[in-house]
Amino acid sequence: MSGPAASAVTDAPVQDQRAAVRTELRLSGKTKGQRLEQALSLFSPILLLVLWEIIVDVHLLDRRFFPAPSSIVDTFKDLLVSKELLIDVKDTLVRVLVGLVMGTVPGLLLGAAMGLSAPVRAFFKPMVAALFPIPKTAILPLIMLIFGLGEMSKYVSVAIGVVFLVLINTMAGVINIEQIYLDVGKNFGANRWQFFRTIAIPGAMPSIFTGFHISVNVCLLIIVTVEFVGAKTGIGYLIWKSWQTFSIETLYVGLVTTAFLGFLAQLGLDALRRVILPWKPEPR
Amino acid sequence: MEARAALTFVPEKIEIRNLSKVFPGRPRPVVAVDNVSLSVPAGQFVCVVGPSGCGKTTLLRIVAGLEEQTSGQLEVVHQDQSKRVNSMIFQEQSIFPWMSVRDNISYGLRMRGVEKKTYEAVVQRYIAKVGLTHFADAYPYQLSGGMKQRVSIARAFANDPEILLMDEPFAALDEQNKILLQEELLRIWDETRKTVLFITHSIDEALVLSDRVIVMTAHPGRVKADIAVSFPRPREVYKLKSQPEFGQLAYHVWELLREEVMRAKELEAATSAS
Ligand SMILES: Nc1ncnc2c1ncn2[C@@H]1O[C@H](COP(=O)(O)OP(=O)(O)O)[C@@H](O)[C@H]1O
Ligand SMILES: [Mg+2]
Repeated sequence: MSGPAASAVTDAPVQDQRAAVRTELRLSGKTKGQRLEQALSLFSPILLLVLWEIIVDVHLLDRRFFPAPSSIVDTFKDLLVSKELLIDVKDTLVRVLVGLVMGTVPGLLLGAAMGLSAPVRAFFKPMVAALFPIPKTAILPLIMLIFGLGEMSKYVSVAIGVVFLVLINTMAGVINIEQIYLDVGKNFGANRWQFFRTIAIPGAMPSIFTGFHISVNVCLLIIVTVEFVGAKTGIGYLIWKSWQTFSIETLYVGLVTTAFLGFLAQLGLDALRRVILPWKPEPR
Repeated sequence: MEARAALTFVPEKIEIRNLSKVFPGRPRPVVAVDNVSLSVPAGQFVCVVGPSGCGKTTLLRIVAGLEEQTSGQLEVVHQDQSKRVNSMIFQEQSIFPWMSVRDNISYGLRMRGVEKKTYEAVVQRYIAKVGLTHFADAYPYQLSGGMKQRVSIARAFANDPEILLMDEPFAALDEQNKILLQEELLRIWDETRKTVLFITHSIDEALVLSDRVIVMTAHPGRVKADIAVSFPRPREVYKLKSQPEFGQLAYHVWELLREEVMRAKELEAATSAS
């Protein structure tokens, strides 16, 4: 057991600095190629939009299903001016955020408890195992029955979609903390609370974050579905209503807005990751 | 101090009597430590050498209270209850990836409730001693393997325990850093005279650092020899190594150890054949 650690590891600070310089050089060397790639990936969607516009213009594409981008932009402007779109976006976001908090907090606490204590885990595991696989959209009618058509049923729907993902990932994260860190905590006399705060939670954080990341995406899916059937506002409602009234441009505005929200969520998650996991370099 | 030590009774800091550890192994149980007896007086620097897999780590983990012995007794005298009785420097990577170098090194002090004002200076001093001043706020992923090990060493020293348990702490370091840290360890030890149990596979390292070398047998681990190392202190690594007495003692220990290393090889061949 004493052998493998002896394999030569160079560790003079000088070498580390040299490595840092080398990385920088490599980065600046890359930029030329990177700039071309950036230009290409900016250009391709624009090309697609222009092509689309032209094809609709010459009646090659049925504008009842594929309205020209320019007409979608017009509708987008109208919806912005009438504030309708902003209200829908705001309501959807509030539902997602409240539901996220309602699902994340208990998921985190119960998941950590299940990770730390075998009896707690044994008690709750069968319930989690039985409930987790139910497709979350399948229980929406039940939730609406119980919580009515008000905002609470939206929060609960999102929360239920989130709670299991956070719980399972938190539990796995805590269980999988390497034994050596538990030994260090014990050797340095960390008490239960200190252990929880300095080892269990930070050690499980990468896994918790993964659970949260998936949760955010699932949230968007669930909220749009909920708003299809049981809401009078929200981005899902906007899409559903435009289908019913056959205002195809509005439907596209809804879709683009949803995609944009997903994009913003991704940016938010990246920023959050940098704040809570500064010690874990992003995988490339 | 010298005179008092000679007149009054020096209590044994670590007292190990007929200690054995058996792991419930898969094909058959593994005897990791077999009937080891050893007493270490307060303030002694003891090195343990022995072939790989002979139970050195297991013995150290039992002394640290991280593992329970199967039979035998272990007594460790804990004098100052406000401090930890021991701190371990682990053989493998053990610093927390989620803490900066600074937070790793202050860990023990923070866990026993030392105020930030008090520990900051101590931590800064040890960061400098292990040569990581420019990396104080770096995270472990930004460090090389050897630098991580230096953080682990500083973490244990900054905690100021009564006993230091060191499990091949310098094995992963390159030669230059190893010698610098050995000299630093000698210097700190001369200042503090802590009780140290130090595991190494390097005979030179054992003789340079310790007052006493315990040679262990190959699997299962027993005490094979107990050798006094009485080179005068303060010591300088290369100066000491150049002395003829050093070479003679090193050769003596090697002869003892060689038998065990050969036996360990035979054992390994036998187990892999069966
Ligand atoms: N947790 C464990 N479970 C089972 N066997 C173990 C365990 N830890 C160590 N051993 C076995 O005990 C023996 C001694 O191991 P160790 O104390 O690590 O040796 P050393 O540190 O001298 O290299 C080895 O044969 C090893 O495989
Ligand atoms: Mg070992």
